[in-house]
Amino acid sequence: MASLADFFVALGNPLMQRALITAVIIGIIGSVIGVFVLLKGMIFLGEAIAHSAFAGAALGILLGIDPLITILIFGVTSAVGIGYVNEKKVMKDDVIIGVVFTFFMALAILFIGLMPSYSTDIFSILFGNILFISIENFIILICLSVVILVIVFGLKKEFYLITFNSEMAKIAGIPVKFLNYLFLILIAVTIDISLKAIGAILVFAMIVTPAAAAYQWTFKINKMFLLSIIFGVFSALFGLLFSFLWDLPSGSTIVSLTTLIFAVSFILSPKRRKTGIIPEECGFCSQTIAGKTYCLDENCTHLDIPHKHDDEGLIIYKTDLKPKKEKTIHKHTLKGEDS
Amino acid sequence: MNVSKLDNQQSSCDDTVVCLTDINVVYGNYVALYNINLDIYKGEFIGICGPNGSGKTTLLKTIIGLVKPLTGEIKLYGDNISEKIPKEVRFKFGYVPQFAPYDKNFPATVKDVVEMGTYAKAGLFKRITDKDRNKAFEILKLVDMEHFVERPIGHLSGGQQQKIMIAQALAAEAEVLLLDEPTSALDFRMTEDVMELLDFLNHTHKITIVTINHNIKLLRAFTKRIICLNKMISYDGPTSDPNLDDVINKIFY
Repeated sequence: MASLADFFVALGNPLMQRALITAVIIGIIGSVIGVFVLLKGMIFLGEAIAHSAFAGAALGILLGIDPLITILIFGVTSAVGIGYVNEKKVMKDDVIIGVVFTFFMALAILFIGLMPSYSTDIFSILFGNILFISIENFIILICLSVVILVIVFGLKKEFYLITFNSEMAKIAGIPVKFLNYLFLILIAVTIDISLKAIGAILVFAMIVTPAAAAYQWTFKINKMFLLSIIFGVFSALFGLLFSFLWDLPSGSTIVSLTTLIFAVSFILSPKRRKTGIIPEECGFCSQTIAGKTYCLDENCTHLDIPHKHDDEGLIIYKTDLKPKKEKTIHKHTLKGEDS
Repeated sequence: MNVSKLDNQQSSCDDTVVCLTDINVVYGNYVALYNINLDIYKGEFIGICGPNGSGKTTLLKTIIGLVKPLTGEIKLYGDNISEKIPKEVRFKFGYVPQFAPYDKNFPATVKDVVEMGTYAKAGLFKRITDKDRNKAFEILKLVDMEHFVERPIGHLSGGQQQKIMIAQALAAEAEVLLLDEPTSALDFRMTEDVMELLDFLNHTHKITIVTINHNIKLLRAFTKRIICLNKMISYDGPTSDPNLDDVINKIFY
């Protein structure tokens, strides 16, 4: 077992420095993209892209070219293809994802079968190895990450609105179709450039898990981004450290750590408590039934609004009890009410 | 049937916010709207009713350019809209979709949702300004929901969520609100709440309102003009006209 001191000594090695920076970058881009992937409910689509990228890698190795090229081609093509089928609404998206997902796996196995000899490269792409990132791949990773971050944060408000309600975004004049495709390409590129470091099977965890953990904590999008990045980078850094200290596979250590963060977030999540407000704080708006106090309003709206109670202490229509600023002048007659 | 329409058939779309002439909309082999002629004037409060599949939503979508008509002419604020709606005209139209409850845990506060209304106006790669934020808050006050500013949108009641959606549509300084069954799935009290808000906006702020609603009684109470749609306009006129009952009986039964 290596000690912490050994780790800092190892940091003098450019290979290790590269690994560390790679880990941090993947931690950042994965968790940033992940926020929208999670909110848009595109998780399985991402999974399909990861597997198509693996098929791309297998083809690249078979042809003897840098797998990153074929990975990017396969990843982006499948993302756009699935997006197109989704947009045309010819079938439910889980059907097409299921078909594509298994087809690419079959393709990958086919390419591996065609290889004259068993390649160790395939193993490293399947399970990832953050220590063996080539300098070219490292530079590509940095450049593409910058592009991804600029696009996501530059178009954050548009993506946010589309995620919230794409129909309203379209009506407001936002190019929803274009941005949806752009986003699919961003997911594909994020997965593709992280593939070698984390591995085809695990790479998607870097996208989903930090964002899912962050989701447990907040109702604000910016805070969700911040938490997601913190969780992603934290687990990437410490995952790398632990994998070094105890000689563990880097990808799985990093993913295990994010999963642990997710589990803790899930258990402690304020969203999972029945209401954010303790019944005793409800004051008049609570009722004691069989010895236990319950809030009358699920979300305890009354804490925000001045309100009154009727003779039995019940509040009925809180919004109506608030004095209206300007009453409309004319009277309504409900014609036809009694006809 | 289309009596009131025939009188001003030849009108030149003066002073209208929306003017549709001979609009036909088809989806594949299926006619969604047939021969629609419609003028909407500034400050009107119009109710649209009609059975399911009668083209109500298509009519609203045609007005804002989401659905392209096969034939016919659309004029918004007197400008002929052939290809693309100019930005400054588009932002005058706000759209409120049918009520669909949001995920309880969706990370968006009431403030965020209202500010979303200003996003499109700000443009791609640009942040919204403090002016936009202030505007959004003013609108929130207008719809009487400023107490909820930090509350997650999923934690509001259905009626409150619809009010927020109306606020979002108004945040882009819309002058015309198109609402697609804003009160379906809401209970009686919430429905009245939303309709009263629309009425307030119409009277005090001169917002033109076009709302789809199945409840004729409700439309009669709040609107002055009702349009009954059944692929074509089968009635367009005042709510008090006795003809209206005949038309309703004809198209619904």
